[in-house]
Amino acid sequence: MIEVIDLCKSFGNLQVLNNITETIHEGEKVVVIGPSGSGKSTFLRCLNCMEDPTSGSIIFEGEDLADMKVDINKHRQNIGMVFQQFNLFNNKTVLENITLAPVHLKKMTPEEAKEKGMELLRRVGLEDKADVYPSTLSGGQKQRAAIVRALAMNPKVILFDEPTSALDPEMVGEVLDVMKQLAAEGMTMVVVTHEMGFAREVADRILFMDGGQIAEQGTPEEVFGNPQHPRTKEFLSKVL
Amino acid sequence: MDFAGKFKVFWELFIERGGWERVLKVGLVNTLLIAVLGLLIGIVLGTLIAAVKVMPKYKLLPRILDKICTVYVGFFRGTPLVVQLLITYYVLWPLMGVTITSLNTSIIVFGLNSAAYVSEIMRGGLLSVDGGQMEAGRALGLSYGTTMLKIVIPQAIKNILPTLGNEFIALIKDTSVVSFIAAIDLTKTFTEIGNVRYEYFMPYLAMAVFYIILVFLISCGVKAMERSLRKSDRSH
Repeated sequence: MIEVIDLCKSFGNLQVLNNITETIHEGEKVVVIGPSGSGKSTFLRCLNCMEDPTSGSIIFEGEDLADMKVDINKHRQNIGMVFQQFNLFNNKTVLENITLAPVHLKKMTPEEAKEKGMELLRRVGLEDKADVYPSTLSGGQKQRAAIVRALAMNPKVILFDEPTSALDPEMVGEVLDVMKQLAAEGMTMVVVTHEMGFAREVADRILFMDGGQIAEQGTPEEVFGNPQHPRTKEFLSKVL
Repeated sequence: MDFAGKFKVFWELFIERGGWERVLKVGLVNTLLIAVLGLLIGIVLGTLIAAVKVMPKYKLLPRILDKICTVYVGFFRGTPLVVQLLITYYVLWPLMGVTITSLNTSIIVFGLNSAAYVSEIMRGGLLSVDGGQMEAGRALGLSYGTTMLKIVIPQAIKNILPTLGNEFIALIKDTSVVSFIAAIDLTKTFTEIGNVRYEYFMPYLAMAVFYIILVFLISCGVKAMERSLRKSDRSH
């Protein structure tokens, strides 16, 4: 589904990603873990070119997203993204947040988008919040609304950038539950997270990143049960 | 000094012979017209300039636009408003071969002038909106322009409304120079009253009081707006 070839990313002189080649398959749930500064968020943000790769290719639906001539907006419609800081539109109600892009990009009529938005909000238990502004919501509610906003575009894959890191501990569960539900429905997901329990339970594959490279990867059993790389062992011994 | 005499003359011209009517119906109306329409032009144009200023500069076009905007802002902030009025009315229009009334010229020049100032205010406003808002829009597949227009600019305008109120007050006061190109504003109508008997003491005193009251009323309006905005922030 997404093919990453020789991806490099530098900010000035600082090389953050170092020659990453990796494929995300359809329906796969890939969880990216690693110490901070290892480049996991940058890797995720390169997948939909929120960060432009310095070199290398991101092949999605037969086109190279890293190519500046490609209509990136068209492809982003199929790649949902959920942010650590939620980033709900402050000047729009929850429902408007959800319907804005599908309606503006002519994916749906306003009525269809509204109906779909309400249905999705019901699924995450926020139907009574449709008409309020984001600032009245708790962190967990904001993140669930943000997931609904991404889902409303019917994306083929959703990227999660540390979706629970900005939440109070008691709200982490409600967001992870929504993500687990999505995973069970077969959504292709790439998740950067520090929630090792979630990684173990949901992931088909774990990528352990260190120093801008994928140092080790495998099923949760392999990576958590029998890590090979010394950096993986060290990292896991700290977080588990 | 014969205060009573001066007051009597002014009273006669201003009240009994209906001078107030011209002050209100022509002077005040024109002053407000120039300031209000000037500010509107300034907001539209200033927002465009600010949008160019905060645009990412990878490509050539934004860089060229940025240079143009820098020159524009530099010119309008670097020359006196009176000079801009005179140049436009007596140099630019004849060169272009057009005839535009002094009132309309004032509106245009005030609009272009305030665009330079509003663009800086708006740039601050745009930068005050969290970068995540733009990212979220772009991640959904919305273009830079659409996200700006629907998400970032509305939030920026809300943040800078009080400052725009001050810009409006500044514009109101600046209109007093439009008589340089023979436009008739508040100042001009009071001068006309003075011209009748060559007696300017009372007309100009009254004029100052008039401006103070006008600005006071507008500041009250701006403050009320600010309060209601803060209230809606809390309830959100």
